[in-house]
Amino acid sequence: MSANFSKRVELALSDSQLGENLDINAEHMRDVYAEVFGELGDLEAQRERAHQIRRDVVQNLPSYLEVFSENLERNGWHVHRATDAHQACAQVVAIARECGADRVVKSKSLLTEEIGLNHTLESAGIQPVETDLGEFIIQLRGETPSHIIAPAMHLNRQQIGQTLSEKLGMPATDDISAMNAAARATLREHFLSARVGISGVNFGIAESGMVCLLTNEGNGRMVTTLPPVHIAIMGAERLLRRAQDLPLMLSFLSRAGAGQRLSTYQSLLRTPRRADDPDGPSERHIIIVDNGRLALREGELSDILLCIRCGACLDVCPVYREIGGHSYGSVYPGPIGSVLSPGLLGTESFGHLAKASTLCGACYDICPVKIDLPTLLLRIRRRYASQGMGSTWIRWALKLYAWTMRDPSRYGWGRRLLKLATALAPKQKGWIDRLPYPASSWTESRHFPQLLGEPLRDRIQLGRDSGSSSTLPAAEPSLEESPVGARAHRDPLLEFEAQVTRLGGEFHRSSLTSLPGKLDALLSDLGIRRLLHWSRPGHPAMQRVLTFLGRSGYELISPEVPRGDFSARLRTNGSLAAAGAGLTGAAAAFGQTGTIVLPQGPGQSAITSLLPPLHIAIVASDDVYANMAEWIEAQGGGTLHSAASTLFVSGPSRTGDIEMTLTLGVHGPGRLIIFCLD
Amino acid sequence: MGVQLFATCLIDSLFPQTGEAVVEVLERLGQTVSFPSDQTCCGQPAFNAGYWQDCRSMAVHTMRVFEDSEGPVVVPSGSCAAMIRHGYLELFANDPQLLPRARALADRTYEFSEYIVNQLGVTDLGRSYHGRLAYHPSCHLTRLLRVEKPPRQLLSALIGTDLHMLSVDCCGFGGVFAVDHGPISAHMLDYRLRQIEAIRPDLVVACDVSCLMHLEGGLRKLGSEIRCTHLAPLLVDREAALK
Repeated sequence: MSANFSKRVELALSDSQLGENLDINAEHMRDVYAEVFGELGDLEAQRERAHQIRRDVVQNLPSYLEVFSENLERNGWHVHRATDAHQACAQVVAIARECGADRVVKSKSLLTEEIGLNHTLESAGIQPVETDLGEFIIQLRGETPSHIIAPAMHLNRQQIGQTLSEKLGMPATDDISAMNAAARATLREHFLSARVGISGVNFGIAESGMVCLLTNEGNGRMVTTLPPVHIAIMGAERLLRRAQDLPLMLSFLSRAGAGQRLSTYQSLLRTPRRADDPDGPSERHIIIVDNGRLALREGELSDILLCIRCGACLDVCPVYREIGGHSYGSVYPGPIGSVLSPGLLGTESFGHLAKASTLCGACYDICPVKIDLPTLLLRIRRRYASQGMGSTWIRWALKLYAWTMRDPSRYGWGRRLLKLATALAPKQKGWIDRLPYPASSWTESRHFPQLLGEPLRDRIQLGRDSGSSSTLPAAEPSLEESPVGARAHRDPLLEFEAQVTRLGGEFHRSSLTSLPGKLDALLSDLGIRRLLHWSRPGHPAMQRVLTFLGRSGYELISPEVPRGDFSARLRTNGSLAAAGAGLTGAAAAFGQTGTIVLPQGPGQSAITSLLPPLHIAIVASDDVYANMAEWIEAQGGGTLHSAASTLFVSGPSRTGDIEMTLTLGVHGPGRLIIFCLD
Repeated sequence: MGVQLFATCLIDSLFPQTGEAVVEVLERLGQTVSFPSDQTCCGQPAFNAGYWQDCRSMAVHTMRVFEDSEGPVVVPSGSCAAMIRHGYLELFANDPQLLPRARALADRTYEFSEYIVNQLGVTDLGRSYHGRLAYHPSCHLTRLLRVEKPPRQLLSALIGTDLHMLSVDCCGFGGVFAVDHGPISAHMLDYRLRQIEAIRPDLVVACDVSCLMHLEGGLRKLGSEIRCTHLAPLLVDREAALK
């Protein structure tokens, strides 16, 4: 394995295009992290809290998993436990077969890569369609992801344009929005017609029996909303105890994962479609996969289970920056992968990855849940060495070194020998420029200093200069950091407006009386005649707007997806997808992140805010909170625990999967207009 | 009670002038310095490579050497100081006999600039350096010991110096890594040298001679005129800094 690693590294290092793509990513993310973590005044305290939240979960994992499973079942989920990859894949195939699916749509999930799900599905005659833009691109290329968050980060726009041209038959282009549009059109068909949607799980909420999924493009929403059957695949350790832990963990995952305060969509999936829900899958399955995780809990690597798969350690790692994700030869690359891969899949196969690090600590510094990765890497190195693996000459050299260094006189002789050797070696301007193998590994790219003169121990003269301290200037007052502290208290409504706009959404204030006219003007400007809408009775603003728009001749559709009959469902989906806009209310909004809260349940279809290219949301100004934590506190999780699912939306659908270039409107609406009622 | 200098094997053998500058600075600050002559290596190379059994013998030797006196141990290397402060605790985590000894030594071990600024309360030695400096914040010093300000404060106080801060980025040394993964290390070095060359300093300064040996070796290979120095010679005088 180690020899293959060296070959892949050699290949990566000689690929100058890859090197450039990786450098750009590293430098971009450095700035992004400085911004999104820099603005948190109490970052260290928050990281410590996040560490404790996750550590508590790992320590109590078996009992939390019991609670989680019970609550999920109470909420109507089918819960499956899989001890290994084989069992997990077999469970997915069985469910898909039972639905008569020959095709499944998938949102991004590393775990499905870990268990080799796509391969198993294909062998079973079921076509897996990756729907995350980056995953879609690498699936077309027959590659594997090179990054936890940005699977296609090793490619530039020309390389991707060529792939899309070859595989989708689109004209060759390096226009990123044209590439997005082509992928969107292809995948839209799949979403509307698939019988099974497969997603990963970012967090399971044990006490609520909920599954939380983050996505920016909206593909995660598609696969968990449109197909009649949803299968969520979750690593057994990906739990949070309670909904109150979400605000911090979602903030950290979004910031560390993609440099956002909150990723665009956060779906909290609680139940399958209930009797009076207008849409959503009738069946939700969850497969909780162990595959070595519970065994890791017991040992010295247990902290690796704290990982929330944000990928930040990859972005800051100087080794990853040089060799890229594919060199690691594992689903999990970078610092986290160098611990997780040997931890889950064996030291024999992956222990060598732990040595591909300078232990510089950048990973530990950025990790939002404070995993001490350098120490874990050291522990794997110890295991690896104690199993007799690794370079033979280094092992013997270090044995000799240790034998020499534990005795001062041997050290003295060793130094004299080395001095002689360096005196004989060829030099340039006093430094050695060539050494024989294996030391040539050093001199191939740097010179080496010569041992000159006497060592310090023989030349040191002590006590020449003592006692002159009185003349020295006194210490300056220490330069304490200015307290960043809590950000100045701002009006949540003003902040909400600023954040919505910053994210590429549009914000308007309106009175109840002028709202219908404003909407009419907007829609007729855009030439939109058909719109989907929420029909929740008792929402006065919505009623008023709908009455007005109905009288003005708009075709108003309150979606109701047919149950059972799949071809009727296909027809309905097709016609719903042709609507020009979706009109919803919002249960609440968060100022700091520009987020709106959309519960899904009777009269509140999920599709309305998902399928149309334009989403219009009406928010009451009284419902604007400072942030998610404040809302959950005020509500006691009331909405979260009554809706079939709850969606947080921060801005329009977006992706940065091609050259980190922001493109709006991938799978979800590309335009978001929020009317805030006074 | 005087301070004990743990010069580190690299400074003792390869950069003795740096060690002399360290002594001179500490003595100018009124410290009585001793040099326990049995000192060798802290054991970090074997520790980082996974050969903890081999490392233990060096660590035990080092603990014994510095247990003869209770004076603070000053180490002119962020990496070696971090080995004693953090590495030994991990190394002896399951050894009830040695762990307390490791902890006691860790508690009185300081990196050079940290000792001057945080323990002695001195940030200005009244020295000058007329030239352009690039400060390389070495990883273990910055991230493991959290010694971020002291070197900057000491350098900022130099009269006539045009001081530039490099980002906290690994130079690619990593001990055995540099030979075990020579090509990766070389690419990391190259990345760092490009950052350095963009600043065009006369000198690169840091608190770890291991990183500096790596950086200067790379600069020399490229035929660059830029040289590297540990912080201590700059706090003595210019000639020493330039050797």
